[in-house]
Amino acid sequence: MISPLAAVDWDALLQVVWVSLLTGIGVTAVFAVAIYGATRAVDLSRDGRAAEAGLFGAVSVVALLVVGGAVIFGIVAMTDK
Amino acid sequence: MDADLIVVIVVATALAFDFTNGFHDTANVVATSISTRAMAPQLAVGYAAVLNFAGAFISLEVAATVAKDVVAVRAEPEFMIVVFGGLVGAIAWNLITWYFGLPSSSSHALIGGMVGAAFVADGAEAVMGDGVLGKVMVPALVAPTLAFVVGGLAILFMYRIVGRLRPGPVSSGFRAGQIVSGGLLAVAHGTNDAQKTMGVIALALVANGSIAGGDDLTIPDWVVVSAATAIALGTYAGGWRIIKTMGSRIHKMDAAQGFAAQGAGAAVILASSQVGFPLSTTHTISGAVIGSGAAKRLSAVRWGVAGNIVVAWILTLPAAAAIGGLTYGVTRVFGTGAAGPVIVSVLIVAASTVLFLRRAQRGPAVTAAEA
Repeated sequence: MISPLAAVDWDALLQVVWVSLLTGIGVTAVFAVAIYGATRAVDLSRDGRAAEAGLFGAVSVVALLVVGGAVIFGIVAMTDK
Repeated sequence: MDADLIVVIVVATALAFDFTNGFHDTANVVATSISTRAMAPQLAVGYAAVLNFAGAFISLEVAATVAKDVVAVRAEPEFMIVVFGGLVGAIAWNLITWYFGLPSSSSHALIGGMVGAAFVADGAEAVMGDGVLGKVMVPALVAPTLAFVVGGLAILFMYRIVGRLRPGPVSSGFRAGQIVSGGLLAVAHGTNDAQKTMGVIALALVANGSIAGGDDLTIPDWVVVSAATAIALGTYAGGWRIIKTMGSRIHKMDAAQGFAAQGAGAAVILASSQVGFPLSTTHTISGAVIGSGAAKRLSAVRWGVAGNIVVAWILTLPAAAAIGGLTYGVTRVFGTGAAGPVIVSVLIVAASTVLFLRRAQRGPAVTAAEA
């Protein structure tokens, strides 16, 4: 009789847990940063603060690139296996 | 000749199951996008169907688990009747739960049906306890819980980041994000669910001697394409029914919650597919939706729905196993030829038609999730 605990592939299960936490929380949080940057950029631009608006705009673009890169990386990693 | 006919019946039954899987799960995949007005209903359904199709090509790990780690396959034509019994058990359980409006998982029904049919055919040793426990039951428990946690934490982080901004642009931003997160969820659904059908068809092909089993198992391309097509068509067909009922039954959530729930659900399902865990995508997405709601306000969550999911989780495997075993027994009464599968197929089609007609007369069942 094999122990139920021994039947579980703990490495795979832990991989699912950390990958889900990292991507599920990380990617959504970075996307929220993109929205934050874009919204602040628009608001600051309206107030005539071009330099700060540009900075927040850049933050937004970088965050969007990170999100896009993460999605593409995830899909490529799965198809490569 | 008989064996070839049985293969055709089993493959057709498996694809029918796949179609109903897509049909049944469309709401899970598109409801969040439509509810938050991120996408128009017609667009969301078409988009989900295309990405379900694409998702089926991403990985074959789940198909391999279903084909190798659930039941011990015999490379004999008679084993195709076991596969047939398991499929009919899953379809019958799905029909019963659909008729009575009970939430259930097609994936658990499929695994349960296979286990029940194999148990009746070949005894307890035919059931690969390690695989069922380690690769199906434990992940099936972990995944919805994990999706709940990820969805909840994600929305907390997101509110923290954008909480003080004007709501208009923030909502627009998250609605745009839902085009990506909803797409990923559709891909994830196609990846995990279509592969289960591929695995079952592979079992039948191994039994028929058409392909090698065990470590030499390779899923033929036509199996991947047909399973992808069936789930995509089912998603598209199911979507039109969903569109008709939208607006009155779907729980409202804000765009950020929708984005968090879809992102969390997609992350858990894709990560699980990568290591070959055949999950209930329904339960995982529900866990993410409940998590994103609970993190905002505990009372916003319909805890009765969560309770129903737990009950369905407990019931589905044994119930589908019992029906799968019974179906195998009934089919075997007619021998090991094609007569049994033909007769049982006719019976299940007739029973399905009666159930559909009765349901159409009475109107759709209102589940706890919808009430």
